[in-house]
Amino acid sequence: MHEERLFRDLRAKMIAIAEVEGVHRIAGARLWVGALAHVSEARLRSAWPAIVEGTPAEGSRLDVELSSDLADPRAQGIVLASVEVPRESYLAGGAGGD
Amino acid sequence: MTDRTIAVDYLARVEGEGSLRLRLEGGKAKEVELRIFEPPRFFEALLRGRSYLEAPDITARICGICPVAYQMSACHALERALGLRVVGPLRDLRRLLYCGEWIESHALHIYLLHAPDFLGYPDAIRMAKDHRATVETGLALKQAGNAILELLGGREIHPINVRVGGFYRVPPREELETLLPTLEAALGAAERTVRFASGLPFPRVEEAYEFVALRHPEEYPMNEGELVSSEGLVLPQERFEEAFEEVQVPYSHALQARRRGGGAYLVGPLARFALNHDRLPPKTRRVVEEIGLEPVVRNPYRSIVVRAVEVMLACEEAIRLIRGYAPPERPHVDPPGELAGASGAAVTEAPRGILFHRYEIGNDGLIRAARIVPPTSQNQARIEEDLRHLVDARPDRTDRELTDACERAIRNHDPCISCATHFLRLEVERA
Repeated sequence: MHEERLFRDLRAKMIAIAEVEGVHRIAGARLWVGALAHVSEARLRSAWPAIVEGTPAEGSRLDVELSSDLADPRAQGIVLASVEVPRESYLAGGAGGD
Repeated sequence: MTDRTIAVDYLARVEGEGSLRLRLEGGKAKEVELRIFEPPRFFEALLRGRSYLEAPDITARICGICPVAYQMSACHALERALGLRVVGPLRDLRRLLYCGEWIESHALHIYLLHAPDFLGYPDAIRMAKDHRATVETGLALKQAGNAILELLGGREIHPINVRVGGFYRVPPREELETLLPTLEAALGAAERTVRFASGLPFPRVEEAYEFVALRHPEEYPMNEGELVSSEGLVLPQERFEEAFEEVQVPYSHALQARRRGGGAYLVGPLARFALNHDRLPPKTRRVVEEIGLEPVVRNPYRSIVVRAVEVMLACEEAIRLIRGYAPPERPHVDPPGELAGASGAAVTEAPRGILFHRYEIGNDGLIRAARIVPPTSQNQARIEEDLRHLVDARPDRTDRELTDACERAIRNHDPCISCATHFLRLEVERA
């Protein structure tokens, strides 16, 4: 149940980011996973297509950074560190290039 | 031109696992059940058999937003059991640490969870698109609170420097003073927050709450004081269990608290302010007078204003405590060498309201029994009453409108389950 809620939150955040940034497609996402997080990389990878299905991130690549630092104050957490927006997405009326 | 990477750094949250069941009959709410599915965590059981010295660090893990509250209630309860008195600079440092937690916790709720309700946004991410400066003010305030926790507690989340009798290490004066520029700026931001919050549009609602909070003879309560209520209760805080009881309800894993022989009551900022508005420090008092905030606020939506007032007073208090600080000779008071079996209880004011801890320890220093009553479980029955009144006032709402209205009503009280912007699964039966 915890995983389902977590995935639902990740999905909502991907949709919100696309909306705020004004982009219609997200090509990739990078997750930082704490050493004590209650989810495995394998579970995240297998669930990812379902998490982003029907969102601007559908078909996106997932990069996972696994932390081994037990003392990190976020060790129990999972952080959506960044998302990657393809060039054509922001050229087509998005937030602009950098 | 390359693809663009947008750094976001959003902590993914496990959404609160709750649902609300409403049964309406003849346009009235017949049954209102706020169901919390979070599995029981058994903290009271896992404390048994552990050294009493571990209690502050173990109980801090109950909450990532208000770990200091758990540490403070644990320390005070155990010190009462051991006959220890923590006074002077050590007492001041504890109050300073609590100020840090109030600032970061309230700023999070005001700006990232509550303000979007009033400004018409589904969440803070979308609100930030149009109100960037507002959200940045909130984040700066939260960082100021976190700075206190990091310096004094050793780290921002789940501090590691608190112990029974005081601290493991206390900072020299010059180290503590490095916080002053940040806190001076935060005090200004907090004043702007009070004015911002007081100008928001509020639904017209008045609830007949019984408020319960601590009251201290000289200061706005955090660590110390008697238990008082708006209905005339006055009780030494260690006798909490004489006046309040927890009951199991069949539809929720969370226990609900009630007055013994009475009903639901409210803890938290509205209660603290109603019972302690004459204890505000001078700058905060001036701003409260300028905005014309009445001493007893019974509109739960306006809790955002009271929460902002508490952020300001916490900033003002933190500055006062740092300016008056002279390091103690030792970082903690030593516990007695030989322990006699003892028990002790204490209440402190977590950001969300009073938090009760009771411990029994054996001659070997191991915990025999523990009891913890957090503020969210105390408010749960009263939140259900708010929801009942909300539904009765406008039973013609659609299910979608009811869900939005109920989520807002629950967020007014900043229960821990409100960490998720959308957390309710609504079941409506209409007869």
